[in-house]
Amino acid sequence: MSAEFLTVGKSVAPIFGIEKATGEMRFPADVNLPNMLWMKILKSPHAHAKIAAIDVSDALKMPGVAAVLTHKDVPKILFGPYQNEIYPLDEEMRFVGDTVAAVAAEDWNLAEQATRAIHVTYETLPTVLDAEAGAAPGAPDAVLHYPERHEIKPGDIRPDQLGTFGNIVGLKEGGPTVVNQRGDVARGFAESDVVVDRVFRQSEVNAVSHEPRACVAVYEDNRCTLWCSVQDPYRLQDSAARVLGLPMDAVRVVSTNLGGAFGVKVTGRFAILCALLARQTGRPVKVWFTREEESLDSHNRSALTHYVKAGAKKDGSLTALQVRTFQDNGYWPFGGLGQNIAFAISTRPVDLYHRCPNVKWEVFAVRTNYPSTGPYRGRADAESHFPIESVMDELAHRIHMDPIEFRLKNRLREGDDLCSAPGKVVSTVWVEEAARAGARAIGWDRRSVVPAATPGPRKRGIGMAMVIHSCGSNPAGTSEAEVVVDLDGRILLFSGTPDQGSEQQTTLRQMVAEIFGVALEDVHGSNADTSTCPYDSGPFSSRTVYATGIAASRAAEEAKKKVLEQAVSLLNRQVRDLDVGKHAVWIRSEPSRHLHLSDIVGSAGGSISGKGIHNGKDGHLFAYGFAATFAEVEVDVEMGEVKILRLVSSHDVGRAINPMIVEGQILGGAAQGLGYALTEGFCFDPRTGTALNQWFLDLRTPSILDIPDIEPVIVELGEPTHPFGAKGCSEISYVGVAPAVANAVYNAAGIRLTELPMTPDRVLKALQETQRSAR
Amino acid sequence: MDAQDFHNVTLKINGREYRVEVESNWTLNDVLRNRLELTGTKRACDYGGCGSCTVLMDGVDVYSCSILAVEAQGKEILTIEGLGISDNLHPLQKSFALSYAAQCGWCTPGMIMSAKALLDHNPKPTEAEVRAALSGVLCRCTGYTSIVKAVLDAAGAMRGGT
Repeated sequence: MSAEFLTVGKSVAPIFGIEKATGEMRFPADVNLPNMLWMKILKSPHAHAKIAAIDVSDALKMPGVAAVLTHKDVPKILFGPYQNEIYPLDEEMRFVGDTVAAVAAEDWNLAEQATRAIHVTYETLPTVLDAEAGAAPGAPDAVLHYPERHEIKPGDIRPDQLGTFGNIVGLKEGGPTVVNQRGDVARGFAESDVVVDRVFRQSEVNAVSHEPRACVAVYEDNRCTLWCSVQDPYRLQDSAARVLGLPMDAVRVVSTNLGGAFGVKVTGRFAILCALLARQTGRPVKVWFTREEESLDSHNRSALTHYVKAGAKKDGSLTALQVRTFQDNGYWPFGGLGQNIAFAISTRPVDLYHRCPNVKWEVFAVRTNYPSTGPYRGRADAESHFPIESVMDELAHRIHMDPIEFRLKNRLREGDDLCSAPGKVVSTVWVEEAARAGARAIGWDRRSVVPAATPGPRKRGIGMAMVIHSCGSNPAGTSEAEVVVDLDGRILLFSGTPDQGSEQQTTLRQMVAEIFGVALEDVHGSNADTSTCPYDSGPFSSRTVYATGIAASRAAEEAKKKVLEQAVSLLNRQVRDLDVGKHAVWIRSEPSRHLHLSDIVGSAGGSISGKGIHNGKDGHLFAYGFAATFAEVEVDVEMGEVKILRLVSSHDVGRAINPMIVEGQILGGAAQGLGYALTEGFCFDPRTGTALNQWFLDLRTPSILDIPDIEPVIVELGEPTHPFGAKGCSEISYVGVAPAVANAVYNAAGIRLTELPMTPDRVLKALQETQRSAR
Repeated sequence: MDAQDFHNVTLKINGREYRVEVESNWTLNDVLRNRLELTGTKRACDYGGCGSCTVLMDGVDVYSCSILAVEAQGKEILTIEGLGISDNLHPLQKSFALSYAAQCGWCTPGMIMSAKALLDHNPKPTEAEVRAALSGVLCRCTGYTSIVKAVLDAAGAMRGGT
């Protein structure tokens, strides 16, 4: 990229940095209002039960208790984060921790005490506590549907679409949720020189956002305001309006800043119940989750089992890939985003290895009586790349080919058709450049081709993984943005997307600043307030810099064009003769003849604004980002410990709008990926469905002593579908870590670890099995 | 709720005295955030598992979620609000703000208060000492590299007298 920019490409300090470092930043949990009540939720002790009777009279008699809501008191209107599929409260409990009732009281203590005074009689129901067993014919129903009870509204799934398909999510009768098939896998395996056949298991993991979700609701004069920890403020606005029976414009949602979100902070019962209690009591109501509530009433990355078989020829051509995946989809009645995730699991790695002619990948997304699962950083790709990249490494080893060269020989290329997005092609694939840059950084040449080559009990090795991830939601997602030049000449950006820590507003304002030729600090505005900002589907799928960035750039270009058109008569020149910058418009040939923006806007008789939208209607809904992760590890074969010596995370980011933020996102994603690789697992008792480690320390997220200095590598070769050539990068750094570490462990110790997390007991077990089979 | 469960306490926070009525089981964190509007101090668990709620009590970094409000009487409490404000930043705050060591900002106040306790006793820490001192505060966003660097940079700036 040769263009010189003023602000784009510069590591300018993030705009919210000072507020965050002083504690002045207002998060939803920091909102306290006069006369405010506190809400507390009563949780189900059963994995699957029906509420036979519920008595709240003792709770209501307690001094300081203002209201109690049960399933009998709430509108039977469906809402939800992805599709309208849950009631504000239901009589069917579908996991341990499901919401039974909600209390509003004078303080947090009283509200909790009142939940204990609610007397519930449960009729327990058969449970599904294993996804694979739940998919089998004859398994009990994890979720009983009551489709006949609800009024069908636009956007609802109709009862006749539900079908009778047991616990497998999907609208087809029987069979898997999705099948991605091409060629003939049997013929492909027959042509293979080597075949690898393995089973992989991955633990469920929680995103562990540090800010437990909060909501403060005010209901006055048939208008409702919600300060809420959600990434999808417009979805919550829609859901709250449906349940409250209000028009959309009577509901305002503010979610400007969130304390981490990672894909999981979405519209939920906590916010809807808060709004209903505010309406009932006529007072502000606040809910702020405990850590236990945050863990349970969240959606997690699904637990997974993959049965993988893959074949290759000696020349390095992939011949066949066959996978059967079981994805624990949790309690979502209509599937949540499970079908969408299943589709991406079965297609993205297949696109990455586009040259493989024979593929059959089936995914069964299965309803269970566990907490819901859904998109969490690296959605679908973190789920699928661990088995695929492990198998790629093993195939390369078996045919004595360098693992990087083997991958690159079979990779996706520009212009290839995509099975993950039928009818679309990929515009840029800088994966080879990312892989080679990463290889140089880690010193790939030092890697021993023979595994377990280090003498002694501490064995060192290097491994890598190559990954794909979407920048932009697929199949749907919309961002709108508005840029206003005010009467005083100030430039304002209004964007509906919350900042959950990625400092997207900094990056977006850098793009607007560039277009207007001003410094970052000269662009102001607000974000994620539905009363002032245009629609945005939210910061998911690494879409903000790409999709919202395109919308913001279009808005800025339109506002700039209007400013120049307004200046035409004032300066007696055509638009093409004018230029804008430093809050002024001037004549290109006579830079001394200029007008301040405020004079131009003043002459228009009001502010000048431009709107931009990105919804993919131009054919570019998303771009694909690529990365290569390299790990150097030391495996202690006596203790089973895997120590990370170095981690290099090399990324095709198109262009880094703010390299400091890009590097920060890569470091953070890779660190979370190390947690997924080595320590994290959200565990449940398989007999009762009860969470076993919902507490912070037991979730085992990495501490400052666990994470080495990770080395980010940025490859900037552009993306023509984005005005500044940028792609997203905040999630993909997570995806490659677990397989890169697993492959490094193989290189170090000669063992294939097929379960996540790769804890010492699993390392020792694999070592024992290898020794046993060698005898 | 029995009347005996309420206590009138005087808390000295950031050099100012606050008289507040508290219940026996209210934590210092409850009172800071929900009664005194000092919401800069965060909470991410409730039982000393994460360190987001770290404040200084008589110069020692403690978890405000694990100190009862009644226990904090007679102690000098310092919170992030007492360390510095936007137009008068402490070097640690400045260094975190400018270097993207505060991503979502939730662990940041606790991280900075823990770092302040370290630098008060050890103005020239090594990287290993910084990591050891901050190991009681978890961060989910940054991967820690930028935090370690921000603390070392702030320590350097403070020694340089800026």
